[in-house]
Amino acid sequence: MWRLSLPHRMYPAHTPVFGPAALPARFDSMTPPTEKPKLLGQCERWLIPVLILTFCGATFWVSTTFKKMPPILKRGIQPSDFPQLLLLLLVFLTLLMVWKDPVRVRDRLMGSTVGTIALFAGFAALTSIDFFLALAVFATVLALFWGERRAPILVLVGLLVPAAIFFTFDQVFEIRFPRGLLTSLWYG
Amino acid sequence: MDALIHGLASLFDLHLLLLIFCATIGGVIIGALPGLNATTGAALLLPFTLTMEPVPAIATMTAIYCSATFAGAITAILINTPGTAASATTCLDGYPLAQQGQAGRALGMAVVASTFGGIFSVICLMLAAPLLARAAYHFSPPEYFALTLFGLSMLASIGDGSAIKNLIAGVFGILIAMIGVDNLTTVERFTFGSYHLYEGIGFVPVMIGVFGISELLVQSEKLHLRREAIRMKSVELPDRRDYRDSWRAILRSSGIGTFIGILPAEGATVASMIGYNEAKRWSRNPELFGKGAIEGVAGSEAANNAATGGAMVPTLALGIPGSATAAVILAGLMVHGLQPGPNMFTEQADFAYAIFWSMMLVNLLFFFVGLRGARIFARVTLIPVEVLWPVVFVFSIVGAYALDQSMFDVWVALVSGVIGYFMRRYGFSVVPLAIGLILGGMLEQRLGQSMVMLDEKWWLMFTRPLTLLFLVLTALALFGPAVWGRLVKRRAPLDSTGE
Repeated sequence: MWRLSLPHRMYPAHTPVFGPAALPARFDSMTPPTEKPKLLGQCERWLIPVLILTFCGATFWVSTTFKKMPPILKRGIQPSDFPQLLLLLLVFLTLLMVWKDPVRVRDRLMGSTVGTIALFAGFAALTSIDFFLALAVFATVLALFWGERRAPILVLVGLLVPAAIFFTFDQVFEIRFPRGLLTSLWYG
Repeated sequence: MDALIHGLASLFDLHLLLLIFCATIGGVIIGALPGLNATTGAALLLPFTLTMEPVPAIATMTAIYCSATFAGAITAILINTPGTAASATTCLDGYPLAQQGQAGRALGMAVVASTFGGIFSVICLMLAAPLLARAAYHFSPPEYFALTLFGLSMLASIGDGSAIKNLIAGVFGILIAMIGVDNLTTVERFTFGSYHLYEGIGFVPVMIGVFGISELLVQSEKLHLRREAIRMKSVELPDRRDYRDSWRAILRSSGIGTFIGILPAEGATVASMIGYNEAKRWSRNPELFGKGAIEGVAGSEAANNAATGGAMVPTLALGIPGSATAAVILAGLMVHGLQPGPNMFTEQADFAYAIFWSMMLVNLLFFFVGLRGARIFARVTLIPVEVLWPVVFVFSIVGAYALDQSMFDVWVALVSGVIGYFMRRYGFSVVPLAIGLILGGMLEQRLGQSMVMLDEKWWLMFTRPLTLLFLVLTALALFGPAVWGRLVKRRAPLDSTGE
């Protein structure tokens, strides 16, 4: 099969982790890890609670700007009452979390994940040119970035699948996509 | 009775039957694919159902739910990786059986136990949901408020996060539901002048983000992993000895799974764990568990599939999701303009029974699909992540756009995905966020109605027996485990000293 002559994946070669060569069982991400995660440092421990508390403070301030209704129209509670009650509960739970169950992580953020999030930004930027062009480019680049080198597979992922989805939604579900470089050619 | 027959009759439509068959196969593939599960599958499928009538739309989603829950066993047995979290315990005995050259036997038992558990729970659903709805028919806003609060309190014990972190995620979800124009007073809240936010943040893009796109980011951490499947000739139906060893476990786990499923927010994962543990506890050969006990496979699989029917009981009868996937189905019902709750069994009884029958049909279908197709589906599990996930991303983004044909929803899905990934990374489950988002608006509305009804004297809620009961249950769900843990800890040193 024809392959693109690009540098090989940035990650270690495939190692059998699942299957006959690998025991004990490794469960997927929905299952709690078997080993106890360690604290990566004070920064990791405090970052999330500080972010949540800052969010609560800012949101509480925003909620104080909500219009107050006269007693006859307020229908039981003022519009700001319930969100404020929730924010106070969130503050209490966050403090309880710091005390009882601090945030722990197993590993540092991986390059592949950061790169994928960066590709999201690239996708968002490309949508201003064309929605489906952005999808096709993103799918191809993501497959390449994750290590796929077989050209027919890249064509399948980056061209055939987005095209099939476009025509299915356009013809079967009658959904109009935003106009752009490619979609305008189709819509005329 | 009429509704029961009308519901069954509405299934005799070639188009609908074909759709259910395709959804069943699709669900099996989704359940077998690495990283995809019933919840993600239902969330991704939801936008595709928008142009359908309510019965085919919801029947398709429930077909995905039932069949994907079963299909997790295929990967659990053949590659020692549960296709869904609910099949985690199936690995413990299924994979050792496969290593001993008995993969076909293990899969055969998984198919039989899943089918029995599924059908058992659908029968319970048909009996229990209308009764529960009839009881709930006389609920007033304070009872509904307390019941919704109880449903939300159960969030503490679900997902892969801790109780406190689950509650934080749940409250965050309710807060997101506050965005937009307040239904009670028409006051704008957290809209920041953006017309996109006037109607609030949609369920569907958030669910696509937190279940689909966040999983893509989780998969980006696993690029170096390679899956290898154990070869298998064919799936074999269990023999007489297997049935003799396992029928008690299947029956017990079906009951456990249905009961756990009925509890708000508890799903197949918890059910399968309890089902497996009970199968081991009551087994004549507990020493075989973990080394290839066929009862272990039966106990786990019967329980997780029984939970699917159980989870639909509170979802349809009360509007409180019984599991994460049921929450997506609940969102689907709302998107289609249906209001789950007691009225569904009086005003839309035909619809409710059509869904029950379609679930029954799916459970029968995946028996044959599982027996005939497990070998083929086992190959699906080996699709490389670098091929699968770019395709899932395209589906996710187009699905998020399709609901309202709005690019804003695409950004919501992307941002939710990134937030969901970081939540999971730091130990917060995304399931409570999704359930909080669905129930948040309902909770506030019922609190407001209760305050109007009780003349703003909220303490009068405690004078209403049913409201009080739900509030006590809420307190037990929140504080019970901690208090119980402390009591056990205090008793342990006493026992060890023999005093």
